[in-house]
Amino acid sequence: MSQLGQVVGILRKLNEEYQISTPKKLKLIDAYLVYVLLTGIIQFAYCLLVGTFPFNSFLSGFISTVGCFILAASLRIQLNKANQSTFNVTPERAFADFVFAHIILHLVVMNFIG
Amino acid sequence: MTSTSFMMIIFMILPIFSWCATSTVAANLSPANLDGLKAQFQTAMKSFSDVASLHYTLAGIKELGVQPPDSFCNDIKKLVDKSNIESIYHATEAAKTLANCKLPVEDYRSVVTSTLQSDKSTTSEVYYAVSSSVNLGLTVDEASIEKRLNALAKTDDSILSQGYALLTGAQLSQPVAKFYADTVNDLVQQADEIDGRTLQYEGGVGTTALLVSAFYEVAEKAGAAMKIDPKQLHKFASYFSTKRHVATLRSAYYLTKVFKYLSDNKNTMPVVVTRVSPSAISAQNPSVLVSVSNLLGQPVGEISVVAESAKRKDDGVVVISKQKLTSKASDFSVFELPFYDTKIPRGFYTIHLTLTPRGDGKLIGLTDNTIDVKVTSEGAIENAELSVSDRDNTAQAKTYKLTYPNVQSEKLELDYHQKLVLKFQIKDKRTGEFIRVQQAFLRFTNKKSNKEIIYLAEATDGSNSQYKVEVDLQTNANDFRHQSGAYNAALILGDQLLQNAYEWKLNDNIQLSFHEDSQADKNHQNLYVPRPEIVHQFRLDEVRPPTIVSLVFSALTLLPLLILFILWIKLGFNLSGLPLGLSPLGFHISHGAVFALMFFYWKYLDMFQTIRYLALISIPLFIFGHRVLATLAARREKKA
Repeated sequence: MSQLGQVVGILRKLNEEYQISTPKKLKLIDAYLVYVLLTGIIQFAYCLLVGTFPFNSFLSGFISTVGCFILAASLRIQLNKANQSTFNVTPERAFADFVFAHIILHLVVMNFIG
Repeated sequence: MTSTSFMMIIFMILPIFSWCATSTVAANLSPANLDGLKAQFQTAMKSFSDVASLHYTLAGIKELGVQPPDSFCNDIKKLVDKSNIESIYHATEAAKTLANCKLPVEDYRSVVTSTLQSDKSTTSEVYYAVSSSVNLGLTVDEASIEKRLNALAKTDDSILSQGYALLTGAQLSQPVAKFYADTVNDLVQQADEIDGRTLQYEGGVGTTALLVSAFYEVAEKAGAAMKIDPKQLHKFASYFSTKRHVATLRSAYYLTKVFKYLSDNKNTMPVVVTRVSPSAISAQNPSVLVSVSNLLGQPVGEISVVAESAKRKDDGVVVISKQKLTSKASDFSVFELPFYDTKIPRGFYTIHLTLTPRGDGKLIGLTDNTIDVKVTSEGAIENAELSVSDRDNTAQAKTYKLTYPNVQSEKLELDYHQKLVLKFQIKDKRTGEFIRVQQAFLRFTNKKSNKEIIYLAEATDGSNSQYKVEVDLQTNANDFRHQSGAYNAALILGDQLLQNAYEWKLNDNIQLSFHEDSQADKNHQNLYVPRPEIVHQFRLDEVRPPTIVSLVFSALTLLPLLILFILWIKLGFNLSGLPLGLSPLGFHISHGAVFALMFFYWKYLDMFQTIRYLALISIPLFIFGHRVLATLAARREKKA
């Protein structure tokens, strides 16, 4: 019981830290990440439940969510001012890369969706 | 299958096998199948459908010594086609064989003359015309015929054409015949040699027989002996003697003619050596009887026969060397060689014979004649004993001594922990040694269902060949299909060189009890019944969920979008910093156009078109995007 209490305590502290120290832009991107994750989970659950009938469609949908998640995550990393030392890109450049990569991802996903 | 039929099969197959084995190896000539040819002609004589069959049949039967009746004259006149030279030829030849058959000459004169004068007639037609003219008594212009034949020889060099040229030459005067007789050697060179043993011409037995009899005919007319190498003549004779049955009447007729020529003692004659005694030598049949004749089966005159050697087939041991055969008939047609001797062991033998004629050599085929015989012996079963013992310890075995042909009177009862062992030996009565045989079986017959279960008896190596067969009621239970019950046991022995085969009933009442339940017999009849039809199954569709489920889940997938908007609004998402102007507008429009293109790609376009459109749209997208981002960057700089 005390262990569970400890875990809950830690999580609450994490949440507080997060709310305070993260800038708004990054929080928006985090919300987007959560959305993409949820979509992926729902698609996967459907596949587990009813089988992989149009397997290519399932794959394309799932890869789309995974791809979007990765691209958004990398955008978030690049925009985080704490990482400025590692990455030497302007936020605009990061965003432009994000858009370009998305176009290619969507091309592939549309090709595969069948 | 009852035991008696099985027995009959053994008795019939073994001798037939041995007979076949001995007669196919011989490379000698065999006498002509005159009875077969005569029967063929006599069957054909019952009804005729064309004049060619009439010719061949009447001429053939006359060669064999039967004079056809004159009643056929009407048939000839009815069947002949007066406009066809071949038909006329057949008609005149057929009429020649009858005692009194006159054909109306005037009906045929025009066709015959026109064929002889025409430039387009083939060699066969020329022969038909010349032959018909001679038969009908018309005059023949030899010079023009010779010229025509020479012209044909240049254009048509087929073997049959050359044959007909020879036959035509035989119908003309002697010098012409002599000219053609000299070409016989060239024609012989054109024959095909098969296996180094026979010579034949392309076209089968009819063509070959026609050609060889043409050789004889033209040589006879020329008045000179036929110039042919005796070895090659023997090869032709070899070919003819292998033709026991011929399909057509034409082949039958020419074959008969050629046999007659080859058996005429004016010419070189091939000698035929055949065995007339049975192939198995035993105490009842101690000698080999050999017949010497020509191809028609007639004697060839005073001749002496010597057996050069008699070799055993498996090991080449020579048992006879240069022994003269005694003549049994006054016409020197049958000779005897005693062969049953204690010094000659059992086995298959090949005897090589050489013949020496008394007079000058017009006979060929005197060496290289072989006769195959087998020396058999009587056997005796000895030391037969049947023992019943436990599977595990054979020490306490009950052994019963058996003597052929007695049936064991005791009832044997065996159950699944016992085994049965049969031991025996076979002795050769003549030499006293123990021999091995080709077939040694122990057969159990289920008294109720008559099913047979057969085991092979194996002999030990060495000189005392003891046979042993063991039946264990546990390991061999499957053979019996676990069917307990009463059984008969019999011993079956057989061999090619054993004079008597054995089917010895050992015991009439053996009770076998198996451990497991009996299995039903396999119904062997059902093996040949049509099998159930296999219906082709197309690939089944994959299992799909009901439409409702997929629709619900599609809606469910859009739910997170709602959550996203709620979160964003909570976080304070606003469009206040959105720059306005041409570039941002252009950027948004081209960005939207890319998404629209994706939709169209999914629905209507293919990759190539999409790539092209994408390339087109990406230009404004890049330009406007760059501008917007530059504006934003400048704004950020200004703030910082």
